[in-house]
Amino acid sequence: MNMKTNDNGIERDMTETEIEAYEIVKADLEKRAKERTKAEAAQATARQTVLTKLGLTADEAALLLD
Amino acid sequence: MALQTFTAGQILTAAQVTALQANDYNQTVSAKVASYVLTAADKGTRITMSSASATTITVNTSLFTAGDSLRIQNIGAGACVVTAGTATVTSAGPLSIPQWGGGQLYFTSASAAVYFPDAVTASTSGLVCVKAETAFSGAATITADGIFTSSYTNYVLQIQANSASSADLTLQLRASGVTATATNYNQQKIQANTSTAGAARTTANSSATITTQGSSNVWSFNQTTIYQPQLAAVTGFQALTHWHNSGTYAQPIIEQWFGNHSLATAYDGFIITMGGGFTVTGTYAVYGYSKTV
Repeated sequence: MNMKTNDNGIERDMTETEIEAYEIVKADLEKRAKERTKAEAAQATARQTVLTKLGLTADEAALLLD
Repeated sequence: MALQTFTAGQILTAAQVTALQANDYNQTVSAKVASYVLTAADKGTRITMSSASATTITVNTSLFTAGDSLRIQNIGAGACVVTAGTATVTSAGPLSIPQWGGGQLYFTSASAAVYFPDAVTASTSGLVCVKAETAFSGAATITADGIFTSSYTNYVLQIQANSASSADLTLQLRASGVTATATNYNQQKIQANTSTAGAARTTANSSATITTQGSSNVWSFNQTTIYQPQLAAVTGFQALTHWHNSGTYAQPIIEQWFGNHSLATAYDGFIITMGGGFTVTGTYAVYGYSKTV
């Protein structure tokens, strides 16, 4: 199936050049999404490590921060 | 000259004729500097109001008859309001006369008048639509060119969309149809999802994220302010978005992406790309913020 673009209000198939540009942005977004997921996972792990050390649940920690 | 009552046999002087003619070509003026109550002698004349403060011109009954009229002009900075005293005053327009505004007060009876305000230039709207609402369907990219001009400094993009799966919508600036793809986009995000708040910074990217699309075919709503894109200066972004993690819309998530495109370059448009290899369906519109009151 051809990739579609909305070009200033007109729906049409993408040109080869546009597809190439699109693929670059898509790859960049995927890379950023992976980095974000990795960072969020690391943050969650670090948070859990601290909670374990303190002997608190996440809800109990949230109560302390309210 | 105030209205005269001539009697049979009276000799009309040249001075009287000249004065009457003058009222047609150079209307008799009654200059006021404070709120004023109309009198019968004001019939056929022109009232000018000049006051820095707000004033009123009050209309009472039994002073005028059907067909009488007079003009009211406001040359002061304070608004002048045509006010019903004991008479009624109706109008299709505003009764408040701004500086350099005016109109005709026309009596339909001794106790009723109609105020016909002259046409005035409408105040400039705060937001002016520069790209009419545009629908897109199954699009991987959305392009809008030639919308940033010197008429406005700052713009706001409104977009609502849904897609087949979760991924980011990202924006790149364009100039004369050429997309700025270099890694000059920098962003800081804050997010709230139930009681969890998160933040992240991402720099030296080739595009700026403006929103995340949530679950399959679930709508997200986004407003992105774009600062000074048409100036040869850094462009700022402030994307406020909320999206949903479920088709029931019971899991709203809010995100704000602040950022910039650091090149000192002027742009006239943008391209939005849907990530993840997905397409997106929805509508968008762009507005310019007025630079004048």
